[in-house]
Amino acid sequence: MTEFAADDLKLEIKNLIIDTLKITELSVEDIADDAPLFGGGNGIGLDSIDSIELIMALQRKYNVRIDDQNLARFILESVNTISDFIIKEKAK
Amino acid sequence: MSDIQFNHKMAAHCESGTVTALLNHGGFEITEPMVFGMASGIFFAYFHKMSNFTFPTFVVRNKPGQMRTNIEKRTGAKFKTASYKDPIKAEKALDDLLEQNIPVAVQVDFFYMDYLPAWFRVHNNVHFITIVGKKDSKYLVSDCYFPKIAEIDAESLRKGRSAGGEMAPNGFLFYLKSIPKKEDINFEKEIKKGIKRAGYYMLKIPIPFLGIKGILKFADKIEEWPKFARDTEHLSHEIMKINVLLEDQGTGGAGFRFMYATFLRQASELLNDAKLLEMSKKMMEIGDGWRSISVFAARIGKNRDLGPERLKELSEMIRERAQVEKVFFTELYQLVK
Repeated sequence: MTEFAADDLKLEIKNLIIDTLKITELSVEDIADDAPLFGGGNGIGLDSIDSIELIMALQRKYNVRIDDQNLARFILESVNTISDFIIKEKAK
Repeated sequence: MSDIQFNHKMAAHCESGTVTALLNHGGFEITEPMVFGMASGIFFAYFHKMSNFTFPTFVVRNKPGQMRTNIEKRTGAKFKTASYKDPIKAEKALDDLLEQNIPVAVQVDFFYMDYLPAWFRVHNNVHFITIVGKKDSKYLVSDCYFPKIAEIDAESLRKGRSAGGEMAPNGFLFYLKSIPKKEDINFEKEIKKGIKRAGYYMLKIPIPFLGIKGILKFADKIEEWPKFARDTEHLSHEIMKINVLLEDQGTGGAGFRFMYATFLRQASELLNDAKLLEMSKKMMEIGDGWRSISVFAARIGKNRDLGPERLKELSEMIRERAQVEKVFFTELYQLVK
């Protein structure tokens, strides 16, 4: 995947996060590629319930499965890690 | 100072993951889903009113310890177990085994595993980790839920192993004594025994809250949950816990249904049995249905949208799972009978 296509993918992922989780107070510009999505502090502040909704949305949109929540914690760490996962799965 | 070369891997569930890791360390190659499936790990039980639960709840796997004992029966592997009420004796027993370079699985209260982020830790007395060494006053830990070997100080581990309460660890430990030769195992026979046992528990066990009957009871009774709750906050917490029990407790997703699907796929490859591959695909779809329940429960709980109509909707979704699992396990049971 080219750098340009990877950037498009990251933008799509940010939109998917906002639409799926109905986060009205954030726009795509507010979500840095490497910002932690979960937990407090500097993160976006998603919780484990959001994670399962996001997993299902990713499955529907990109036909990729994340079955195990233990792995999901690392795959869903940031927009970058989600994008890396999708690219890797699609290359299989 | 011990010197154990332990190949750490993450796993979906702590007990099946720990048993798998110890077997692999001993030289017996087997996957976590295969351990789970051969050990008849898949299950369902609904507890509406039990003295030791303050609110109705359910479980989606067999009893703690059964994955280890069942895999012993199916493969001939042997584990040695011990419990110690006295934390000092528990620590000494662990240290003695580490001195002999033996990796040791211990039962702990998850909350004290302070290498994990604080937001992730809850009190849960039935978490299994493997201690793979000791460096000064710190133990080296292989925890299936952590990406690398972690360190924990002796005091935190002691607290974790001697925590009180329901299903207290009591210093419980186990380690591998011997492994069988793979060529001595009739995998076809043992895999089918594992499936048959799971089928028995899901379909035939004559207890009205276990197996498919348990899923139906869950569907019937969930509409009564509001009468057990102190208020809406409490009810929403309990409804959201459905998501936690299905997804967040190391189930491999959808209450172990995805892990069972992987077991069936691996069994089909090992036994060259196309029918088991079909069953694996069906189980994956069943898992997707459970995952929809978990999302629905999480959403209505989070939004405090917990009126009778929503609970009825949830009840119908659960009833549908009972129906599809009954068809599934009946077909699977017939295959291995």
